[in-house]
Amino acid sequence: MVEERRILYEHLDVPDINTFDVFRQYDGYTRFEKAIAEYQPEDIAKMVMDSGLKGRGGAGFSTGLKWSFVPRDIKPCYLCCNADESEPGTFSNRYVLEKNPHLLIEGILICCYAMGIETTYVYIRGEFTLGKKMLDAAIKEAYDKGYLGKDVRGTGLNIDIYTHPGAGAYICGEETGLIESLEGKRGQPRNKPPFPAVEGVFSKPTVVQNVETLCNLPFIVGNGVEWYTKMGPTYADTRNDPPTPDPNTGTKLYCISGDVNEPGVYELDLGLTCSELIEVAGGLRGEEVKAVIPGGSSAPILTHYELDTRLDFTSLTLAKSMLGSGGIIVMNETRNIVDCLLNIMKFYAHESCGQCTPCRWGTPWVRDIVQRIADGNGRKDTITRPKFGVTESGRWGDTGETEEIYEDLDLLESVANNIANVDTMTWNTICVFGIAVSWPAVSYMRKFRPEFEAAIREGKLVTLPVAEATVPPEENYAYQQRFIPKEFADL
Amino acid sequence: MAFVKLNDLEIEVEDGTNIVEAARQHGIEVPHYCYHPGLSRPANCRMCLVEPYVFFPPAGAIVPDRQLATGCTTTVRTAPPDRKLDGKYDFIVRTDSLRVKKAREDILEFLLVHHPLDCPVCDQAGECDLQDYSYRHGHDKSRYLEVKNVPPKKDLGPDVLLYSTRCVVCTRCIRFAEEVSGTGELGLINRGSHDEIDIPRSHDGTPLQLLDNKLAGNVVDICPVGALISKDFLFKSRPWFLEKANSVCTGCSVGCNITVEYKADGIYRLKPRFHADINQHWMCDDGRLGYHYVNSDDRLQLPLKRVDDALTPTHWADALSIITEMLSEAEADDIVVIGSAQTTNEDNYVLQQFAQNVLRTTQLGLFGHPLGEEHKFPQFTIEADKNPNTAGARTILGSANGNGVLEGDALWEKVSGAKIVYLVNGGPERPLKDAEKAALESVDFLIVQDVLPSEVTQLADVVLPGTTFVEKDGTITNSTGWVQRIRKTIDPPGEARVDWEITQQLARQLGGEMNYHFAGEIAIAIAENVQGYADATHQKIGDAGIKLTVSGQ
Repeated sequence: MVEERRILYEHLDVPDINTFDVFRQYDGYTRFEKAIAEYQPEDIAKMVMDSGLKGRGGAGFSTGLKWSFVPRDIKPCYLCCNADESEPGTFSNRYVLEKNPHLLIEGILICCYAMGIETTYVYIRGEFTLGKKMLDAAIKEAYDKGYLGKDVRGTGLNIDIYTHPGAGAYICGEETGLIESLEGKRGQPRNKPPFPAVEGVFSKPTVVQNVETLCNLPFIVGNGVEWYTKMGPTYADTRNDPPTPDPNTGTKLYCISGDVNEPGVYELDLGLTCSELIEVAGGLRGEEVKAVIPGGSSAPILTHYELDTRLDFTSLTLAKSMLGSGGIIVMNETRNIVDCLLNIMKFYAHESCGQCTPCRWGTPWVRDIVQRIADGNGRKDTITRPKFGVTESGRWGDTGETEEIYEDLDLLESVANNIANVDTMTWNTICVFGIAVSWPAVSYMRKFRPEFEAAIREGKLVTLPVAEATVPPEENYAYQQRFIPKEFADL
Repeated sequence: MAFVKLNDLEIEVEDGTNIVEAARQHGIEVPHYCYHPGLSRPANCRMCLVEPYVFFPPAGAIVPDRQLATGCTTTVRTAPPDRKLDGKYDFIVRTDSLRVKKAREDILEFLLVHHPLDCPVCDQAGECDLQDYSYRHGHDKSRYLEVKNVPPKKDLGPDVLLYSTRCVVCTRCIRFAEEVSGTGELGLINRGSHDEIDIPRSHDGTPLQLLDNKLAGNVVDICPVGALISKDFLFKSRPWFLEKANSVCTGCSVGCNITVEYKADGIYRLKPRFHADINQHWMCDDGRLGYHYVNSDDRLQLPLKRVDDALTPTHWADALSIITEMLSEAEADDIVVIGSAQTTNEDNYVLQQFAQNVLRTTQLGLFGHPLGEEHKFPQFTIEADKNPNTAGARTILGSANGNGVLEGDALWEKVSGAKIVYLVNGGPERPLKDAEKAALESVDFLIVQDVLPSEVTQLADVVLPGTTFVEKDGTITNSTGWVQRIRKTIDPPGEARVDWEITQQLARQLGGEMNYHFAGEIAIAIAENVQGYADATHQKIGDAGIKLTVSGQ
């Protein structure tokens, strides 16, 4: 049985930990004081780089590497804390904000010290009214105690924190959408490059970090890099020659919801398998696992064949999915995948910012197609065509059999892939919202195709038994590889 | 200069040029909607996707980049020697690969899912980017079965209508209102597929601010589809029936380059034409909508003479013989000749020659519209001088003697003492001040050459019907010293004649030796005789205009 390892959440349940005095009793701000007393800013940046900390917001980009892109000679430089936690299935930042806001402030202080930043904006999701209230109160306390403001604790540092509530748009969680919104404009992502590290808030270099990432900093500084790297696996990145280390270090706040007995946020080492996680969350509610969404609703779904996948950044990327924000949704045999997809597509069609063409008009189209299938109006052709599948060579090809044509499934896959192609991982959109739409659309449809076919055939939603509803992974893999030229297939 | 491989071409382009422009310079079209060379680049239409090539170390080869890039935001720069691709190229890009073609097809399909099939009643049909690109790059049928969005039609301002259903949300209009006019009336409302362009409105839909700035008409030009429509042109004509001629706006002294679009029965619209140093891509609504007097039913079509205190139509021979008689009997000192800042350099040159060599008078005046309001925008200025050719007229009329040309009070003083005044206007009606009116009333014999009945023609003894800027060839000089060509598009109404021809006829009847056959000939004479105009022949001016070596002064 895997045990939780509480680091960020260690003192979450201590009464009044949101007040400065109680936080102080539990080593509060000592890590920041240690950072100032013992390290130069460059040392902190190097520690973060060595710790292998990956951004917890979704992309899993190395935090140390991101900091290294920030030009040191351009001032002012800003820190943007992304607390616009709006990925469906994710709710870990919220507890930090509501219960232990001083931890976030300490993380911000360390980041500001390391990067020479004087101004921080915390962009809080508009619905987090309590979280904003608690954070504002904590910030006020920190100002009163001299940990914020002019000349912090006599060190000569000037650090200010401003909180800014969002207005309820999912896309403002995307870093450049967030920056636009923060500047008072429509929350529409920017074209990259330039990346925010070079040109962000008010056209100045900006570090954008998730709440959870910043909350890791005090522990990296306080306990040292060696302690931190012991948690979680480090893989070898074989794309490089010689292979480079690909660390997935630290703990992750997994938000487990859906068909488990004890849903909630669990802080665990990175690299546990899907099944282990379900066990930690009190086991499955129901007979068997049908599907698991591993990283918020935009992540490609995992089937019961893939429950041994390790839930860390690297393993899930190799499994053609992503850890994302760590919002894990478990579904048991009673769930209908078409219905689930419809739910998710309604969300994305509503949340598309409408800036660029494919997403603006593609996402509602995908939703409408799924809606039609769910309503029992999906189209199926009366003729058949040669069936393609895994041939003897193990690659995708003509099997010599025939199959029925489900026009709407072809259309769904085609439209979703035209927004962002999940096979080649390319998108025609400005931001990655496009891939966040087509990933679930295509993966649900491919992995649970029998259930979609049944809905069209029967003219109503049909929930098939798990074994029947799921396409075996070999077939899926061969399908995904079908267009990739041989010379690139193994890269 | 960067050395670029574009498809199979090897081209040299300036550093900082984007792919769309680089391709355009070499005759390759990269389709685009949101990109406009005069505006910022949000790259939101995704239509201009191109395929850049990069060096891929694991394969040890130059391969297409994983992601397509937008041509409008991808700029080429000279690469350092060790970063050259294939040892010589600064940039390699394809605009015709299968991936690019598929991407265009896909984007067009998305653009068309909510677009109505109302081309038969759409004003833009025939000059619509959506039509053109669909034909060249799109699917032949729609796969969209769902219900289309039908946002409402909106009245945005005095001259602009928005057919929201046709909008592709490229935001060119919004960016124009923010960046060029700086007025910012337009914005996006709603989100996602419900995006609509709109002006600020209260909750019940009442407009809080109209799109009524003086540059508003440009949003109709830059709209790549039929969403923004000019009320002035609405349902007037299909664009393919219109003939086009390059000309210059005569609304003020800026001298915006325009295209006059016309049919045999009149002018249908004026559109701005690019000129890097004068108007860039834009023109103002005063100029754009200021052509209506040309089509007016009131235009002077026959010469008029005063019979029993009333102006009566007559024929040219009669009118000219009356004038010849009066002029031949008068003393040179009693005659004042007044040229116009509304007519061309050629008209004024013939007039000046007429005054100098035939009438032998030195009393030459300049008649122009009074100063109006100046409007300054972040990237555009409408000048206060509402005459297109003040600089040219001043130089050419003033070249007769060292005294220059009479203007303002000095002119009206001379007029009140004169017996015969020959006055040319040749543009929209010019209101008279009381003193000016009194001065003209005191003249014994007033000859007026104009295009519309006005206060001035009311005072005249003989009225000669002249022509407007679209009915004759010639050159005009703007306030910054650019000499540019205007061209004849339509025939003058009735028996109206080109102004310099009238003057030349008079000169010949009075025994002068003047034998010009077309405006270009006069321009050559100007080039020979007027300082600064040495290069200002029609041939050299062409469509781009030339800047005077010495400014018009």
